[in-house]
Amino acid sequence: MNLMTSLSTVVSESSHWDLFMGGSFLVLFAAIATYAVPVPQGDRRWWGLVAAIGALVVVGMSAVDGTARTVMLDLAAFLAVALVWVQGSAQAVHAARNYLVLLAAGIAAMTAGLLIAGESVTPPDAPLDHLAVGLLVIGFSLKLAFVPFYVWLPLVAEAAAPMTTALIVATVDIAAFNELAHLRTVSPWIFEQYEALWIGVALLSMFGGALFALAQRDLKRMLAFSTIDDMGYLLLGVVVGPGVGLEGALVGALSHALFKVLLFGSVGLAEHQIGHALTLNDRGLAARCPAATVAFIAGALGMIGVPPIFGFAGRWRLYLAGADYGGAWLIGLMALATALALIYYVRAIHTVWLGQPSTPETPDEPPLASAVLLTLTVLGLALGLLPSLVTAYVS
Amino acid sequence: MTIPLIVLLAGVVLQIALARVLTARSKGWLAFLSGLAALAAALALIPTIRSDGSLDGTLFTWDQNVPVVYHVDALSLVFMLLATGVGSAILLYCVDYMADEPGGVTRFYALILTFIAGMVNLVCSSSLLIAYFSWEVIGLCSYFLVGFWYKETAAANGARKVLLMTHIAGYGFLAAVLLLFHSAGTFLWTDPALGAAFSSGIFLLLLIAAMAKSVIFPLHTWIPEAMNAPTPVSALLHSACYVKAGVYLIARLYAITPWQPEWKTLVLALGCATMLVGALFALVQTDLKRLLAYSTISQLGYIVTGLGLGTPIGLAAGLFYALSHGLFKGTLFLCAGSIQHATGTRDLRKLGGLAQSMPQTARIWLIAAAAIIGVPLTNGFAAKWLFYDAALDDGALPVVIIALLVSTVTAFYMLKATVGAFYGEPSPSLAGVHVHEAGPTMRAGMWTLAALSLLFGIAPQILMKWIVAPAVTALGFTSGVETSWLGLSTGSGSAQATGGAILVLAALGTGYVIYRLSQISPATAVNAFSGGDPLPEGAPVTLTAEDFSDFAGEALGPVYAVTDPDRVYLRAWQGLRSAIASLDSAVTPRVEAHPLALTAGLAILVGLLVWIS
Repeated sequence: MNLMTSLSTVVSESSHWDLFMGGSFLVLFAAIATYAVPVPQGDRRWWGLVAAIGALVVVGMSAVDGTARTVMLDLAAFLAVALVWVQGSAQAVHAARNYLVLLAAGIAAMTAGLLIAGESVTPPDAPLDHLAVGLLVIGFSLKLAFVPFYVWLPLVAEAAAPMTTALIVATVDIAAFNELAHLRTVSPWIFEQYEALWIGVALLSMFGGALFALAQRDLKRMLAFSTIDDMGYLLLGVVVGPGVGLEGALVGALSHALFKVLLFGSVGLAEHQIGHALTLNDRGLAARCPAATVAFIAGALGMIGVPPIFGFAGRWRLYLAGADYGGAWLIGLMALATALALIYYVRAIHTVWLGQPSTPETPDEPPLASAVLLTLTVLGLALGLLPSLVTAYVS
Repeated sequence: MTIPLIVLLAGVVLQIALARVLTARSKGWLAFLSGLAALAAALALIPTIRSDGSLDGTLFTWDQNVPVVYHVDALSLVFMLLATGVGSAILLYCVDYMADEPGGVTRFYALILTFIAGMVNLVCSSSLLIAYFSWEVIGLCSYFLVGFWYKETAAANGARKVLLMTHIAGYGFLAAVLLLFHSAGTFLWTDPALGAAFSSGIFLLLLIAAMAKSVIFPLHTWIPEAMNAPTPVSALLHSACYVKAGVYLIARLYAITPWQPEWKTLVLALGCATMLVGALFALVQTDLKRLLAYSTISQLGYIVTGLGLGTPIGLAAGLFYALSHGLFKGTLFLCAGSIQHATGTRDLRKLGGLAQSMPQTARIWLIAAAAIIGVPLTNGFAAKWLFYDAALDDGALPVVIIALLVSTVTAFYMLKATVGAFYGEPSPSLAGVHVHEAGPTMRAGMWTLAALSLLFGIAPQILMKWIVAPAVTALGFTSGVETSWLGLSTGSGSAQATGGAILVLAALGTGYVIYRLSQISPATAVNAFSGGDPLPEGAPVTLTAEDFSDFAGEALGPVYAVTDPDRVYLRAWQGLRSAIASLDSAVTPRVEAHPLALTAGLAILVGLLVWIS
């Protein structure tokens, strides 16, 4: 009885959205774990770390609040570093080392910034307000890989197994992003008094991510830069704030999580089938890996925000936030960045997946992994057709 | 009101649910019946809309505070009938056409039905956000259908171009909708507040989106690349429906806000340029479907120009032309599909003499070719007549001159295609190929569309009275537009005496040529017009499609260089790519070699920025 009372207290204290996100993370962890059975992503340590990260993120998002949540999510981020480290290769260790140092610096900066800011609706006296915001900008940028603090993410994406990166960007980072959104509501001055700075970081991430993604030949690196690109949109929504901005950011973050799992999952499945890292030199994989192809195309369209895929539900709100904040010029810039994203995704789809195959015949895709990807694809489509199933929770 | 949509979506669900049970042919019949039921439901709306003006209703909440709201008026009906009517005929054609397809038949029919449903939803929605949603749904269907044979590089490349050009331009639509919402607080175009928030910038954004969908110069270059799709896709999407989505949007703008004079001028200029460029490029094509694709561009120029005139008769001309083009161009594409199905090629240089082995296809082709040229007794004549009348009535003499010039070019390239494919000696390239007439359902689909082209050519008043004139009224004009048997009298009264008589004579002359062609024994060589000079000794007695294309290509070479926007797009893409490569090679190695030092430096920079902000 006591347990039930405690649980109901926890549930009533957490917002509906946090519970919904916690549930969504649970689904994504289950999908990643199921996928990893036929398409191995690491040894037993990997499984243990995934379970620990899953528990920390799901419980942290849905059952606790305040400092306890922050500590749990930060711990999950450090375990994510270990997840990269246990991949074992020299490249992975190098990436993990960089990730660790930058993450530690980011968390330290965030913690210091939060302590100074004090989660208050009013700013502290000058110059502490400047110091707090500076630390928070640097801290969140390092943790969420905003430009110009993005460097750890492409390194991790290139070195780690695809679902490891998916897990980091789709759960650990998105949970941290929710913390940023939370900060927007409790301490609005951090964003409102420094709008230009935050908007600058958002635009830099959008365009930097998109332009660098266009330059990549390795698909995992391209996806890493696409994450950076998308985080720019989400940050913009947070800066614009309560109402359509924050709603767009949160819904966009959820769709980002879903589609990043699809994208990294499809790349991972294809790599598993053909036996080497996927690059723009590969051709016509649709003939060899049909399920991965469907998932990649759905993931790409979802990331770009093409109706009727779920990504549109977040994207139109973010565009509207852009219109509210900056009018036609900001919408124009956002559309331009999205057009760049369309170009790099479509290039990948039509170079690597469609067209005549260049690789020899491969065995059929593992049914379990295919089923996971196709289920998530159908979910992305269903939520796109009926987004109110999700957006009802966000307000 | 929602029955057409429900029936079509039910068809999609059944296609998927019964995918493993049904044969390819059964799937075709199922899709056809879905289309037919949707057409019947759309037709059933006509009496109510004629009496009440429109049907309104809220279906469900799609997203928070964004309900799906329908406002079905006579303009919606024009495009609903186009989508479901031409769609049904094409689905009938598909039963035989897709019967031997080795795979992907469920995908094909599900996409076609989804496409038609998307088109219906687009034209019925009064929420512009939902309209944009449908706009992109039909865009995605087009992308997947063009890339239907995705293992072929040409098909995949064509699909890529379709997606890039139409989706990027589509951001104009989305941006316009959101900027309007920002100002007016509503997505509903039926709300006067939305019309009041309109500006030239918003108009331009919407026009860009419409231009890409409706292949208006200079955003037209995706359509020739889309010709690697299965031919029914080209017939449905690239003649009847998809390219008409932009036409719908432009027409709908009249119902939302009064047009500024400069908007009309801009649309007229773009329409005329499109007419001309499309026809000139069609001249030099040797691939039958590419020729028809460029012809579509040219014809869309007529339609948009008609709308740009902004008078009741101009709008009536545009809408009547849109319906007519769907019928005769759909027929031409289906004939091209039959030819490819029978011969394995659509290259005019490898075709010839097909009237002998495909007599019915040849007859159907001749009807549709006569219609596109504007021969009396066909709907093409009635459409062109309305168009010229509207332009003369408005005093738009440059439009009339350009349109007359384009009509001549149209006759030229259509005769080239007709002679090249159907007349003369059978091509040696087809030796050993068992050329056969199209199957029964293919013929039925083609005959349906061709017969409607004739029906609405003989009695255009049926379309005008029941469909087109109410649509003009729905756009806020006092219509008063009418037409008589054969389309000879339009009721405007001012223009017939001037340009009309000349036009009739020219059209009748062309009709006589077509008639003579149909009388020639298919195996007989055709004496071709050689330009006045006698053909050199030993030269073949016929000119081939290639000869015409070479001649046009050489004579108009500089024009093609100037009017091909792909060169500009390609240069922009190459510039972007090399700039990005330089940026990446300059930044990435340094950043990834010294991440910690770089981060520390940037942190100091951010600190400084915060301090001074």
